[in-house]
Amino acid sequence: MERLIEKWQDKISEVTIGAKKPVKIGGETGIFFIDGEDKCPNPPKVAMEVWDMEPEAWPETLKANFGKALKTPGEWAKMCAEKFGADIICLRLASIHPDSKNTSSQDAGKVLEEILGAVSIPLIVIGSGSPEKDNDVLLHCANISKGQNCLFGIATQNNYKTLTAACVSNGHSIISEAPIDINIAKQLNILICDMQFPADKIVIHHATGALGYGLEYTYSIMERTRLAGISGDKMLSMPMISFVGQEAWRTKEAKTGAKDTGIMWEITSATAYLNSGADILVLNHPKAVSETKKTINNFTLRQ
Amino acid sequence: MAEFKVTFLPENRSISVDSSTDLLTASLKTGIHIYNSCGGEGVCGRCKVIVKKGEYVTEDSGRISEKEREKGYVLACRTTPKSDIEVFIPEESRLGDLEILTEEIKAKRLAGLYSPVEDVVEAVSDRPLQKVFKHSALSTKLFLKLPRPTIDDNCGDSDRLLREIRKRHKEITVMQMGLSNIKKLPRLLRESNWEVTVTLGNRNKTTEVVLIESGDKSRENFGVAVDIGTTTIVAYLVDLNSQKVLGSKASYNPQVDFGEDVISRIIFAQHEKGLEKLHHAVIDTVNTLIDSLIKEIKLTLDDVTAIICAGNTTMTHLLLKIDPANIRKDPYTPTVNFIPVIRASEAGIKINPRGLLACLPCIGSYVGGDIVAGVLASGMDKTKDLSLLIDLGTNGEVVLGDKEWLMACSTSAGPCFEGGGLKSGIRAMKGAIQNIAIKNNAIHVETIGNEPPKGICGSGIVDIISELLKNKIIDRSGKFVGAVSDRPLHKTWVIRESEGVKEVVLVEAKDSAIGKDITVDENDIKNLIHSKGAIYTGIEVLLKEAGFKKSDIKHVFIAGGLGTALNIRSSINIGLLPDLPEKSFVFLGNTSISGAKICLLSIEAMDKADAIANKMAYLDLSTTPLFMNNYSAALFLPHTDIELFPSVKKILT
Repeated sequence: MERLIEKWQDKISEVTIGAKKPVKIGGETGIFFIDGEDKCPNPPKVAMEVWDMEPEAWPETLKANFGKALKTPGEWAKMCAEKFGADIICLRLASIHPDSKNTSSQDAGKVLEEILGAVSIPLIVIGSGSPEKDNDVLLHCANISKGQNCLFGIATQNNYKTLTAACVSNGHSIISEAPIDINIAKQLNILICDMQFPADKIVIHHATGALGYGLEYTYSIMERTRLAGISGDKMLSMPMISFVGQEAWRTKEAKTGAKDTGIMWEITSATAYLNSGADILVLNHPKAVSETKKTINNFTLRQ
Repeated sequence: MAEFKVTFLPENRSISVDSSTDLLTASLKTGIHIYNSCGGEGVCGRCKVIVKKGEYVTEDSGRISEKEREKGYVLACRTTPKSDIEVFIPEESRLGDLEILTEEIKAKRLAGLYSPVEDVVEAVSDRPLQKVFKHSALSTKLFLKLPRPTIDDNCGDSDRLLREIRKRHKEITVMQMGLSNIKKLPRLLRESNWEVTVTLGNRNKTTEVVLIESGDKSRENFGVAVDIGTTTIVAYLVDLNSQKVLGSKASYNPQVDFGEDVISRIIFAQHEKGLEKLHHAVIDTVNTLIDSLIKEIKLTLDDVTAIICAGNTTMTHLLLKIDPANIRKDPYTPTVNFIPVIRASEAGIKINPRGLLACLPCIGSYVGGDIVAGVLASGMDKTKDLSLLIDLGTNGEVVLGDKEWLMACSTSAGPCFEGGGLKSGIRAMKGAIQNIAIKNNAIHVETIGNEPPKGICGSGIVDIISELLKNKIIDRSGKFVGAVSDRPLHKTWVIRESEGVKEVVLVEAKDSAIGKDITVDENDIKNLIHSKGAIYTGIEVLLKEAGFKKSDIKHVFIAGGLGTALNIRSSINIGLLPDLPEKSFVFLGNTSISGAKICLLSIEAMDKADAIANKMAYLDLSTTPLFMNNYSAALFLPHTDIELFPSVKKILT
């Protein structure tokens, strides 16, 4: 029987991040990994998280991989890039949060510069989850990294203006996040674009749910977004990012399960999100990174 | 179970309750009303009280901020006593003692000038309402000169009367007269020289001799049509002979004190004496309205022989003091849809003691007699063209259909269109800002009756949002774009921040009739976006379920008391109405009251109302997954998908 091959009328925008060794994501004209349909010029990328402080809440099995590097962001980033094969570094400015160390914009800027000096792969920079503090710090970071073409986050419906302005004036890309709601995702993209921000510098984040913690819900929203994007909805035709690592390692199973449970949780969640159309997977465990990269290669080689 | 004494401050009123009684229930028992809109489900977070002394158990609801918690704030509905306890009810949480504070509190709550009874300002309709029904009022007066009995014609007094009525009205088949009237006959007939006026009432397909008076009173026959809205009650006094409206009055529905929407009122009805309180609130208002109407043209209550009410299903239940509990419980069954004609006094309505009360039939739990009245008044059930009726009330009902079929749904739009829930909102009364335009960098307002502005009514808020959007003062999510500024560049208005919320000043205090600035803030805009989103999504889902496209709609009838005129262009700009040619829209004003009036004057129309109620199908949006998804897409100006509004896209780009 002849297989019907779906023809989509539009394509996902192609976003380039990084300056020294830029990577491209997006550009799909079909669904990832569907035989014959997956006209996807840029395979999904794997990013690894690096923090500006030692992540105290991380389980020992996770921390052990990085050893002393956890205390030196530059070395940590280098290790991720050179030893574990990360395509992108995702710097999480956790220490700036007023409830954490409440470090200053200048401190954060130094960490950012340290990482920029240590690795040449592209950088994602995300805040601490405190809207006001993040605005201050990310504005500073966006200014000092002008020209580095980083991906900054996270813009939300209630807090997007400062970050958007900072990114547009320094040529960075932006992550727009909606709480698993395709309509809010689109509304936020419209609002960001209304500030003269180029649509091809936006990456969508639909919140991430780990396996058993809302994965299916996020999966279907991401799938719908992708289908809307390749069907011609310009305000949804952006690449997508998933923060799999942070969610997988927060689960009860990862924290209390047998030794490799967390890794398996991370790999399983990551594999699912690959199929839902994620273009960047932000992971934590080196083993999860290598396995996920293997999966991506297997899938893309089959073409 | 242990009993504890709960004392409410500053009233210092106490009551003994067991440890399972929450503070909200306890307060109701003492007659103190704490503000809440969810009916005590811990959802709305409005019943905040401060525990001053004593032990308690409280459930964390996420509605109390850290600062408030430190001050001892708890949600009354989620807190139960563990010892004798003293509770302070802060100003913002109180509804006040009904007897003493009602008006003051309402003034505050409804953020406008409150006056108990207001003249109704008629909507200007460019299309006459249906006048095609034969005149045959719910109650008719007939002057009779009876032949005196003779030895050859000595049938009974009562039979003589009925015989004479039948001679004049051959169509009457079944007729009845109550014992009390029969008992009056021998004296009445002889004292009045056999010249009497009978009032014939149409009661459930039977004609009843309601009243017999001596002499010719046939010219004094009056009826009242009432629209019982969730937020507003409107009454018309109608001359049943000339069919003229002699007066019209409106008042806010005082049931607002017990909950803003029908659901919270149904919940309140389950409280101790709740049903009674709700019933009395509406009856008292109806009686006040009737009273002020008849006084104005010097009639007496006895001259009013019929009253007809149109209201949604819950309002109709509460009017008749019928328990509405099952309306909100799966599978959502009202107690009654087709309400028999009863004596008005049975429901507590004061007109002629023998006068009749009819209610327009309801369709289901969430589509009621007001919508049947609307369909009747619009005439959409008579045309072969596909028509849409949109009722912009607290419950935004939408009806789609033609003469073959009708399908309705109900959305929870909130009180915005009637001026509720807005900082400077008022009902469509004289002095209400009903149209707004931004021209030459200045805001121009137009009020009903060209009187000094008192506040903004529904059509005004629609206009201002459209104008702010067109002029890029707000973005498509309804937030102000620019920074706070006393006089934005070259502009004459003020954008400022008040209690952390940005607002635009439409009329300054010195130019307003209330001595306060009239403003629109981001919360007002957000409220209206939710209201218009619900209505638009209702339309979308109804079309989809019925298998039609937007372009198939030939006529759109808009009902609601939101002003004397609604700017169609503005309504499309904000995404309240679908993007169709402006000539397809007809604004009808309050069709609930006009439909009720038609039924008051014509039994034929009342029969038609029954037929409409019988044929209308109801679509429950809460079980339609499409609704939720489309709803969040509609919470944007005009809509997340601008392609649905090509004419607005042109304006905005």
